[in-house]
Amino acid sequence: MTDPLLETPEFDPASGAEGDTGADTGASEDDKTRPRRRYVIEDDTGFDEVPRKYRRFYRRWAGSRDALAPNEVLCPVCRVVIRSARELRPGDRVYCMPCMSRLTVVVGEGGRLEARVEY
Amino acid sequence: MADFLNAYSIQTWLESCPQGYLQDTEYGHAAGLKEPALILENPTLREEAIGTTVQLVVGERAALAASSGLINAAPDHASKRFLATQTLDEARHVEIFTQRLYDLGVKKDELEDTIARHANPHLVRFAEILLEKVDKGDFVAGVVGQNIVLEGLAFSVFEMMQASNVELNPKFAQTLSGTIADERRHVGFGENRIGSLVRQHPEKKPEIERMQKEMAYHMLATFADRFRGQAATLEESRRITQAAGEGSPTRRVWHGTDLASAAPEELEAVLAGTVLAEFKTRLGRIGLDYQTPDRP
Repeated sequence: MTDPLLETPEFDPASGAEGDTGADTGASEDDKTRPRRRYVIEDDTGFDEVPRKYRRFYRRWAGSRDALAPNEVLCPVCRVVIRSARELRPGDRVYCMPCMSRLTVVVGEGGRLEARVEY
Repeated sequence: MADFLNAYSIQTWLESCPQGYLQDTEYGHAAGLKEPALILENPTLREEAIGTTVQLVVGERAALAASSGLINAAPDHASKRFLATQTLDEARHVEIFTQRLYDLGVKKDELEDTIARHANPHLVRFAEILLEKVDKGDFVAGVVGQNIVLEGLAFSVFEMMQASNVELNPKFAQTLSGTIADERRHVGFGENRIGSLVRQHPEKKPEIERMQKEMAYHMLATFADRFRGQAATLEESRRITQAAGEGSPTRRVWHGTDLASAAPEELEAVLAGTVLAEFKTRLGRIGLDYQTPDRP
């Protein structure tokens, strides 16, 4: 058995993650209806800890002053920033390849998007 | 069944590690990099560097024994395969830090005596507690001890040391960067594999929590010996480095503390605080109650 995320021809760490996991993730009605912004993910981060074709979807975190873009979320397990080709929203499921964690995007304290580990 | 490992394979490890961040490295750093002349030529700095590196070798030898020992205790083949790659990672760490001892002038026939002389007894006990679980074939306790407690400790210690050395000693900083990348996989395995197993075996929680408390105590005692017990040596090393013009101008901030100017007890406090907070967070995520260790 292989990972369905990796079978996707156009891999994205947030692939197969159309939002509603059934859990309380803090998603608003606006989150569910407003169109998502799309992002062009360049291979420009120098991240080299996963196979080459996936490297553009991750970058190293520069510490607490590192402001994350709307298409980014920090992995709480290994502290690598995960980048998606689209704006992330509460309820999205993302995959952190460097530490193999499956995560769900939630609204954290202060309203910032955070990732929760799903075991 | 370790579902999260479906995407993991030896091939993924090859493309991530040897063909990724270790490509074109020698003993974990760019070819041709050397230890700074100041460290090699000054007896105080050299002895301090040897003492630090010995603790890394001791920790990595324990990690090698634990990860290899856990392969046969693992309940599924995906975990066995992951632990096989972790075993090679840990063997590499033993090798690169041992190589650093040689680079610092330790002769091969002096290696074991040097390690025995500098190894902190609390770090040795920390390793023994872990290996007792591994020797009993206790996979859940072994993985918590190895991939959450020991690797969580290594993750923060390596990050702090990497931040300290990025300008002063690029060779050592690069060596540490590769080990930090390895630790990401190891802590990821620990959390993801044990997160589900703890739910299946709640009866094991009290024993694992006792192990965590005991290991955390010996970790804190190691820090206390290192920072408070050797404060004079650390201050002298810093004075020599700054007098040589290689350490004073740049602030090197890690978790809000300037590593270049903080007193030894401040360094101990920020490292201990960071590691314990990480333990608490990681253990909480997998359903274990963090046990506050006694203060040495």
